[in-house]
Amino acid sequence: MNAMEQQTPILKVERLTKRYGSKEVVREVSFELNHGEIKVLMGPSGGGKSTLLQCINFLVIPDEGRVWLEGKEILHSQKKELYAYRQKVGMIFQDFNLFDHLTALRNVEIALLKVRKMSKIEARDRAVGELERVGLKEHIQKYPAQLSGGQKQRVSIARALAMDPKVMLLDEPTSALDPELITEVLSVIRALGAEGMPMILATHQIEFASDLADEIVFMEDGAVVESGPPARILSQAECARTREFCSKLTGLYGEGR
Amino acid sequence: MASVRPEVYPQDSWRVYPPSAAPAVQRLVKGDQGIEGRVEAEREFSDSLARVISSMQEYLTAVGDALPYLLQGVLVTMGLVVGAMGLGLALGIMLAVGLVYGPPWIRRLFNLYVWFFRGVPLLVLLFLFYFGLFTLVGINISAFNAAVIVLGLISAAYQSQIFRGGILSLPEGQLKAARALGMSETKAILFIILPQALRLSIPGWSNEYSIILKDSAVAYALGVAEVMARAHFVASRTYQHLPLYFTAGVIFLILTYLGTKALRVLEQRVRIPGYMR
Repeated sequence: MNAMEQQTPILKVERLTKRYGSKEVVREVSFELNHGEIKVLMGPSGGGKSTLLQCINFLVIPDEGRVWLEGKEILHSQKKELYAYRQKVGMIFQDFNLFDHLTALRNVEIALLKVRKMSKIEARDRAVGELERVGLKEHIQKYPAQLSGGQKQRVSIARALAMDPKVMLLDEPTSALDPELITEVLSVIRALGAEGMPMILATHQIEFASDLADEIVFMEDGAVVESGPPARILSQAECARTREFCSKLTGLYGEGR
Repeated sequence: MASVRPEVYPQDSWRVYPPSAAPAVQRLVKGDQGIEGRVEAEREFSDSLARVISSMQEYLTAVGDALPYLLQGVLVTMGLVVGAMGLGLALGIMLAVGLVYGPPWIRRLFNLYVWFFRGVPLLVLLFLFYFGLFTLVGINISAFNAAVIVLGLISAAYQSQIFRGGILSLPEGQLKAARALGMSETKAILFIILPQALRLSIPGWSNEYSIILKDSAVAYALGVAEVMARAHFVASRTYQHLPLYFTAGVIFLILTYLGTKALRVLEQRVRIPGYMR
């Protein structure tokens, strides 16, 4: 990686805004995500975290704002360009959204075959590799309904990774999981971070966030209230609302792990 | 038992004789006539039994004679059904996808289609297309093909609603996840949405099979030589209405049974383990 590449942020978002009727769900959000950087979105439910993440890869079309990937602006009206862009932005959903009619292996394979046009052998090798990487080697022939929540989420991570994403967007990846299953998913995400994958992660796991994040972005009512390194946001946030929210989260989840 | 009277002949309450023998039986049971009266009544009784047996034999002969001819009609009937279901399936899927994902003008257009083909009686549509439309446009088409097309167009309207229900019952996240992987809407619908929606639609779809099967009998009005038309043809010449229409009915029942059974097997075979039973 040369110096030029290092300087351009991998993902840049400028004044993203999404309205439903007169309600602004995302309000003029701007940020830059650098190589290897991990940003954690925090804040109350309904605060716009999910919508923001989905605006970034245009699953929800923002009303205003611009997005750049590696310095190249993405025009969502150009379908081909949009589809190519989405391949490079891996997305993990709160409720996994595995394809219910396909085995774990086929879940990972299908986009390789249909989108990346890989050969069957190539796609199979890649899919098996990705599933091994998230520790699911013995489960590749199982259907989503036969997997636990944690396993499902790991399949969905493998599915995203198989597309060779430049960035990962994770929308509360552990919120739908039993406490016992959270760990296995978090450790996969942790490993991903350690490999230098740039990520934007919405979570309520405060301890995990403080461990992993380079920056915590606190959102409420669609707008970024405050952002900064975890140490500052979690312990001495400037904004009273941020402080209140963080202390509640610590009370709830802080002791668990 | 309330009655202690010894009786040779069965009482009315459990009669096993044909209704036409009832007067004779009545007279015998009463037992108040002389020996000649008894002989007369017994002969009447056995005559009426004989008449029933011989008409049964006549029925069976009529069925036996007509059966090969009727069974040839099964091929025609199944041809109508398979053709119409195939056409209805292809069109119905397109309609359903358009109704769920299409732009507003497509949705309006498709809704109009569904409204029309669900609203006009089958017989009217058959005549309208075969004698009216196809003739007007100068398409020379066989009655069989016309019936397949009309049955298929109607079935498409119904099937579209079955598939629309299937699509709508899928969680929204399925399409989202597919798009997030860089799939175009078309690919997502083709590889992710439809395989699931169609599985969910099989139970409703097996209904459609039995409906088309029964509707196909109306094609006899165009002179298509399916089961009903053949039964009608023979019955109106031999005057054996009862056995022939009865047999036609039984043939339809058997076809319904077999088809529904086959679809049930299909449903089991494509079942997703641990999901959607």
